[in-house]
Amino acid sequence: MIKVLAACGAGVNSSHQIKDALETEFKNRGYDLKADAVMVKDITADMIDNYDIFTPIAKTDLGFEPKIPVIDAGPILYRIPTMAKPVYDKIEAVIKEKGLK
Amino acid sequence: MLFAKKDVFISDQSGQKGVFEEISKTLLNEGLVKNEFLENLVMREKNFPTGIDLSVVDVEFPNVAIPHTEGEFVNVRRVIPIKLLKPIRFFNMIQPEQELKVSFMFMILNNDPEGQANVLAQIMQFLTTTSKEKLKEFFEMKETDEIYNFLNNNFE
Repeated sequence: MIKVLAACGAGVNSSHQIKDALETEFKNRGYDLKADAVMVKDITADMIDNYDIFTPIAKTDLGFEPKIPVIDAGPILYRIPTMAKPVYDKIEAVIKEKGLK
Repeated sequence: MLFAKKDVFISDQSGQKGVFEEISKTLLNEGLVKNEFLENLVMREKNFPTGIDLSVVDVEFPNVAIPHTEGEFVNVRRVIPIKLLKPIRFFNMIQPEQELKVSFMFMILNNDPEGQANVLAQIMQFLTTTSKEKLKEFFEMKETDEIYNFLNNNFE
């Protein structure tokens, strides 16, 4: 299973929308992907180590350098396919490059 | 129901602080939010701005914002529509260094992020699938009843 960490300021709205969108899209693309939605302030270096990819809304300062690939997922929020596709494609490229499954 | 007829606002405040204070006070009096709501709303907007650039959807649309806090500071699941008579400065949610002039706020009160359909997704769906002509008319509306009825009829 590919594990993705989505995050936003309140951990309520944006990160949950990204979680739902990623899980649906990657199921359609034939991957077993699961995302968690959290508040940015709750993210620690130990926690992020449990994930394969980090997808914040925008460039985010965590106070440390994450060791996993970071892909800004904000454009997905618009629910416009042409805006979301480049984000999904970037994530899929990382999945293929790293051989994640 | 995501909207309530009495909780649609038209504000002539000219700054974020003013409009946040004005709306929070009413919501607090109605018991929809907790005492700490305003303070957290202001702090969250500063650290994680919520302006949404609608020019990427259509160049003729004004920008909107979706201010909100963590679920623990609110008592309901509701969207509070606020028409801003004077555009207010926000920063872009997905490009936080970019400034936006915002003419309409959908303040999200969400004490149950896991439940039902995603509120933000419903707002974005409304903004990107309502016809251009209708949405332009909506953004010109200056009566709370008119705004409420339009949202009720056009939200999925």
